Amino acid sequence: MISVQHVSKIYRGSVPALDGVSVEVEKGEFVFIVGPSGSGKSTFIRLLLKEEEPTKGQIFVAGKRLDRMNSWKVPHLRRNIGTVFQDFKLLADKTVFENVAFALDVIGKPKSAIDTRVPEILELVGLGEKLNSYPDELSGGEQQRVSIARACVNRPLILLADEPTGNLDPATSVDIMRLLDRINRIGTTVVMATHDHAIVDAMRRRVIELDTGRVVRDQERGVYGYGA
Amino acid sequence: MARRIDYLFKETVTGLRRNGLVGFAAMSTVFISLFLLGGALLIGRQVGLVVDATTANVEVAVYLQDTVSQSQVQNLEGILRGVPAVDPSGVTYESKQQAYVRFKQLFANQSAMLQNVSPDALPASIRVKLDQPDQFEEVSAALGCTETSAGTLQCTQPGIDKVVDQRETLKRLFAVIRVFRVGVGAVAIVMMIAAAALIANTVRMGLFARRKEIGIMKLVGATNWRIRMPFIVEALFEGLLGSLGAILALFILKVAFIDPLRGQIGFMPLIQNTDVVTTIPYLIGAGALVAVVASLLAMRRFLDV
Repeated sequence: MISVQHVSKIYRGSVPALDGVSVEVEKGEFVFIVGPSGSGKSTFIRLLLKEEEPTKGQIFVAGKRLDRMNSWKVPHLRRNIGTVFQDFKLLADKTVFENVAFALDVIGKPKSAIDTRVPEILELVGLGEKLNSYPDELSGGEQQRVSIARACVNRPLILLADEPTGNLDPATSVDIMRLLDRINRIGTTVVMATHDHAIVDAMRRRVIELDTGRVVRDQERGVYGYGA
Repeated sequence: MARRIDYLFKETVTGLRRNGLVGFAAMSTVFISLFLLGGALLIGRQVGLVVDATTANVEVAVYLQDTVSQSQVQNLEGILRGVPAVDPSGVTYESKQQAYVRFKQLFANQSAMLQNVSPDALPASIRVKLDQPDQFEEVSAALGCTETSAGTLQCTQPGIDKVVDQRETLKRLFAVIRVFRVGVGAVAIVMMIAAAALIANTVRMGLFARRKEIGIMKLVGATNWRIRMPFIVEALFEGLLGSLGAILALFILKVAFIDPLRGQIGFMPLIQNTDVVTTIPYLIGAGALVAVVASLLAMRRFLDV
C-alpha cells in the first residue's frame, strides 16, 4: 500500500530531515511512526501526501509512483488518503454536518451521496446526535472525531494521522485510538505519527522509530521505546 | 452539473459579500478604464467620419508648364496611376479650356474676376484623387518633388510647373488625430492596469480570508480548478459589471451630448447608435480578459499543489 525506498529529504541548506529511509506498509496495517520532535515524522507524512518532493529515493502510494505523477493527478491521489491533524482543522463557521459534507462537496460528489454518507460516518464516530453543532460547541475529543469523520467519509484506502491525540487528555486519547482501531479493522491502512508513549505501548502495533531522519527501529507489536 | 453551478454561485456570492468594498473599487476602476477605452474607440470612429468627409474631395493638383508635351502628360499620368495611395481611375487631365470652365462656375457671380482672366491664363493640370488620403506624400515623392524653404514643391519630372497637395492642412489634421487616439488609448491602458491590480487584490484578499478552507480542499483532493473557479467567477463578475456600466455610460453620453449636435454643425457626420453597439464586444471582451488574467496571476503562486 505504501512503499518508501531509500528516501532522503534535505530542506535547503539544513541537515537532512529524512536520510535514506525505507519503509513498506501492507494493506490493512496499523503503523506508528515515533520519535522525538524534529526526527522527521511530519516530513514523512508530507511526502506521502506529495506536499513535498523527496530529494532522493522513490515513493509508491496505492500503487502509484509519486515522483513521476503529474501535478493534476495529485488531487486524485489525495482522495485515496484521509488526513487527521493535531489541530483538527475544522471550519468554525460550518456545522459538524457541513464540515464533513464539505470534503465530499469540493470533490464534486452529488448531494444524494452527501446526504447518505455524512450521517453514516458521523454515526460511526459517535456524533450522530451532534450534526448541527458548531465546532466551538464541541469538546476537543469530539472535534477530533469530526475531523476523522471528514478524513474517512470518502472511504480512503489510507488514513494518515499526524499527532491526532496531541491536543487531547489521556482518557479522550484512548477513545480516539479506539476509533482509529475500528477504522483500521474495516480495512483502512492507518499510519499515525505520535510521541504519546502510553498509546503506543497500549496498542501493541507495528512501531517505526525515527531519529534524526533515520529509521532506528521497525518492530511488529512494539512499544514506544526501550527506555520508556 | 447543476450541483456544480449551485456550488459556484454560492461561493461567488459569499465572496462578493465578503470583500464588498474592495470589489466595488475594482468594479469602478474597470468601469472607468473601459469607459475611456470605449470613448477612445468612439472618438476614433468620429474622427474617422470627419476625416472621410473632409478628405473625400482631397486632390493633389499637378500643375503643368505651358510648354508641356502630350507624351510628357502621358508619362506623368502613368507614374501617378502607379502610386499605391492613388485611385487609378481618379487621375484626370484638365486642359486649359476645362480649367477655365470650372473657374467660370466657381466665380459665376463675380464678373470682375471673369473679365480679368483669359482662358489662356489658367494652367493645365493633372487632378489626382487619393484612395488613402493620409498617404498623400507618396504622390509628390513619386514625381521626384522636394520641399523648398518657401514651402512649395520643386519637382524633377519634366513638364511640371508645381504640385499642390494641401500638405500643411493634412499634416495638421492627421497629427491631431494621432494625439487623440494615442492619448485616450494610453489613459485607457493605464486604467486597465489599475483595474487588473485591484481585481488581483480582491482575489488575494479572498484567498487570504479562505486560506483554511483552501488548505482543507487541497487535503481532501479538490482539483485546482475547483478551488480557483469561484475566485475567477467573482473576478469575472466584477469585470463584466464594470464593462456593462461603461457601455451604459457611453450610450448616455452619446444621447446627452452627441445627439443634440446633430444638424447643428453644418454637414458634419456624427456617430450613430450602431457605432456604440460595435464597441460592446470589445468592452465586454476587455473586461472579461482583464478579470481572468488578473485573477489567474493573483492565484498563480498561491495555489500550487
